[in-house]
Amino acid sequence: MKELLVLAEHRQGDLRDITFEMLTKGRELSQALNADLTVLLLGHNVKGIAKKLTDRAKRVLVVDDERLRNFNAEGYQRVLSHLLSERKPLLTLVGHTAFGVDLAPSLAAELDIPLATDCINLGFEGEKLVVFRQVYEGKVNVRASLRKSESYIVTLRPATFEIEEVKPLGGEIVEIPSPPSLSDDMSYKRFIEYYQPPAGDVDITAADIIVAVGRGIRDVENVPVVEKLAKAFGGVLACSRPIVDKGWLPSDRQVGASGKTVKPKLYLAVGISGQFQHISGMRSSDLIIAINKDSKAPIFRTADYGVVEDLFKVVPALTDRILEEKG
Amino acid sequence: MDFNLTEEQRAIKKAAREFSEKELTPELAVEFDQREEFPFELYKKAAKLGFTSMRFPEKYGGQGYGVLEDCLVTEEMCRVDPGLGVAVMLGTLMFPDGLLMFGTEEQKQRYIPPLCTGEKICAAAFSEPAHGSDITRMDTTAKKHGAEWILSGNKEFITNAPVADFFCVLCQTDTEVSPSHKGESLFAVEKGTPGLEVTKLQGKMGIKPCVTGSLALSDAAIPEANLIGELNKGFYYALDLFNGTRIAVAAEAVGMAQGAFERALRYSKERKQFGSPIIQFQGVSFKLAEMAIKIETARLITYKAAWLYDQGKMDPMTTAMAKAYASKVAMDVTDQAIQIHGGYGYLAEYHVERFHRCAKITEIYEGTTEIQKLTISRYLLKRILA
Amino acid sequence: MDIIVCVKHVPETAEADVAIAEDGKSIKTTELVYDINEWDDYAAEEAVLLRDKLGGSVTAITVGSEEADSTLRKCLARGADRAIRLTDEAFEGSDSYVTAKILSKVIKNLPFDLILTGAQASDDGCAQVGVVLAELLGIPHATMVKKLEPKDGIVKVNQELEGGLEEIMELKLPAMLAIQTGINEPRYISIMGIRKAMKKELKVLGLKDIGLTEEEVGESGSWIIVEKMFVPSVEKEAEILTGGVDEIATKITETLKTRGLI
Repeated sequence: MKELLVLAEHRQGDLRDITFEMLTKGRELSQALNADLTVLLLGHNVKGIAKKLTDRAKRVLVVDDERLRNFNAEGYQRVLSHLLSERKPLLTLVGHTAFGVDLAPSLAAELDIPLATDCINLGFEGEKLVVFRQVYEGKVNVRASLRKSESYIVTLRPATFEIEEVKPLGGEIVEIPSPPSLSDDMSYKRFIEYYQPPAGDVDITAADIIVAVGRGIRDVENVPVVEKLAKAFGGVLACSRPIVDKGWLPSDRQVGASGKTVKPKLYLAVGISGQFQHISGMRSSDLIIAINKDSKAPIFRTADYGVVEDLFKVVPALTDRILEEKG
Repeated sequence: MDFNLTEEQRAIKKAAREFSEKELTPELAVEFDQREEFPFELYKKAAKLGFTSMRFPEKYGGQGYGVLEDCLVTEEMCRVDPGLGVAVMLGTLMFPDGLLMFGTEEQKQRYIPPLCTGEKICAAAFSEPAHGSDITRMDTTAKKHGAEWILSGNKEFITNAPVADFFCVLCQTDTEVSPSHKGESLFAVEKGTPGLEVTKLQGKMGIKPCVTGSLALSDAAIPEANLIGELNKGFYYALDLFNGTRIAVAAEAVGMAQGAFERALRYSKERKQFGSPIIQFQGVSFKLAEMAIKIETARLITYKAAWLYDQGKMDPMTTAMAKAYASKVAMDVTDQAIQIHGGYGYLAEYHVERFHRCAKITEIYEGTTEIQKLTISRYLLKRILA
Repeated sequence: MDIIVCVKHVPETAEADVAIAEDGKSIKTTELVYDINEWDDYAAEEAVLLRDKLGGSVTAITVGSEEADSTLRKCLARGADRAIRLTDEAFEGSDSYVTAKILSKVIKNLPFDLILTGAQASDDGCAQVGVVLAELLGIPHATMVKKLEPKDGIVKVNQELEGGLEEIMELKLPAMLAIQTGINEPRYISIMGIRKAMKKELKVLGLKDIGLTEEEVGESGSWIIVEKMFVPSVEKEAEILTGGVDEIATKITETLKTRGLI
């Protein structure tokens, strides 16, 4: 029987959401293909995590090894290349995360297994694997097919597939030994530690109202224009990645995949185009309003209300109006 | 014949565009337009990257390019903001060019390098209260006194006067000779020279960050060695210098027109009336088409004038045509850009009115449009007679 | 330290109107402005900063058409010492895997301690080339690098993870690092830089020079083939508030009031 593998992603003892997202899509695919859905879990002392995964897959393969304690693409790749060569799964799903981006391409290259990254959908049309991706900063979608092969690897974009509620499946945990290739001489790449940059005085994840600023602000000297609006609301100022890259705001104000995930009652995006990395950090907000000059900006596909205007005109007017309202 | 810029010229244009778009922000533009102050920090930043010394030799700290490359930078800066663009690019106005053509090695070594690095700013003092475009006679005099020249008189409408460290001043050195222009000479004068007073002129219509002022010289003594070139050749030197700067003004005009055009184009795609973007209406789209035609032709003649200059085949008629035509185009296009914006175009925050205000100067300074036409007609006359 | 930086010449689409071309498999490019991929710009800057600190050389490499020269010249103007452009009609249709393959054939014959690439490209967003390249060359790699310090044959890197967390790793040199934006502040291109760049070597190599066959490159060598490009249908679109600025401000305020947010 054909097999569909999902590589579980976990960090510091917790499964990451992407794992459940992949399992949701994986289940749908495995049913359509009449294939087995297997989760692959690599790590050390991961029994608790493995147990959780049995709710969602009939089989959980566990490779428990001290050398796999922390994610290290080198060690993971040795185990995976062994397993994939042996089991020849039709499809292996990996998250398009920092972890997956580090691992999937080199694994695919080592085994010459066709790979598609950052997919927002996929399916088989007969024997042909078809994937959908976004290109040109989210403005265009691509339908692409992979070269015919007995095995494929696909990385899935995070926060794209809903996590479905399931009745626990009560799957089995199968422990498999580490392959000999996972030797102690892995000296190419060594994990040292996790580093959490020091937190600032504002916790944006606790705010009810967030006004977030993006590239459209153009200059650090303009940031106060938006900050005033945040203050008028009694909310906090956050931002998208480019603002942190330029050093205009500290990294603890960043919303998005590499920053914070927020769920405020109001998220006002100012001059933010809405790359998926940003969207994934704010899409669950109760009410989203976006102000952007470009009517084609992807942010308008996520926002509830949109304003297609120059932020330097709208923001001051809105600030005045709010202050007026509050007396 | 090849109408393409070289790879190097394209790289220069791109670098200037990147710098201008990031540094000449609309906020900065509005701020300096209101304050009427020279943007020192911006000028220094641009100088450090080489933008303000394009046409000066590497030997003196310049970039070793020609007038065409200089025009490409000027055009890009003025495209983003006419006021800041002109201010930055005119910081090294004319004085180094005069020294390079007519000055001594000592003068070049002393004055050009600090201008290239952006530490210093210079000005060219030709116009006088009674003589604008007509420089055939100067009321400002220079009299020899021992090993010094003693300068007296007033200069008016001098670009950079309030901020300049170095001036080149056109003076009457022979008050008897006829015609009078055969008795004019050019001098290098430094800020701080006793007897030199500078006053800032406020309330210009446009290019406000490019500060203007007047000079009052009352028995200002300068060393003998500060005479630039030969005695009594100043008038001819000035004409030669104008031939270079007029091309730069044409480039300013092309840039201003381009910038206003792009704003109008963008606005016409966004602005909706009667349910469709206004660019869908022929009244607007034809306007844009005409603007594009004008800009392209102005650019071509400007590049041609610059190219001729760099080939050593400087043609005063082509130069005059470029300046007269490009400045007219700048006025027309910026005017139409306001029209396309409707009522919003009349507001400062939509920026096109600033482009229009700034564009006007290109029809006036470095020889008015009338003077350009005079030059053109004189050459035409000569050709007919020949 | 000899550093190789792999760069890509891409259209700027963030603020442009993007339309699908006649073939239905690509976008119309005539109206678009091309430049160095943003991530690669950081990578090139980082390479030059490292070279200035530690000595050695920087070689910029791209796979692309003649137009990509402007991106290579930009790297040279920034301070790279030499550049190589890999161009061949047969490369048309190559995916990230093939691009990495082409690069590996050239790079394996060059001396290097470090390869830098951008963490991804703004056009296809695949985030593959650097990592595949490392695998083909048999060297270690790290991605999303936002800090790096090479020392004594080892490079210590901070790799960006999700949620603001970073992971600190050590890699043996030579290594490949895919650079994340924000690692430095790419300098402006100076006129002095351009002047020098025009005198630096820019070598052009084709299929024959690198020892690959036609079957190994282009679509035939690729893992993935584009079948169709389309503008995504909008499942959900924001309700656009129109009117004058004050009118819009009032509309927003009213909406917030009804939701008890003011």
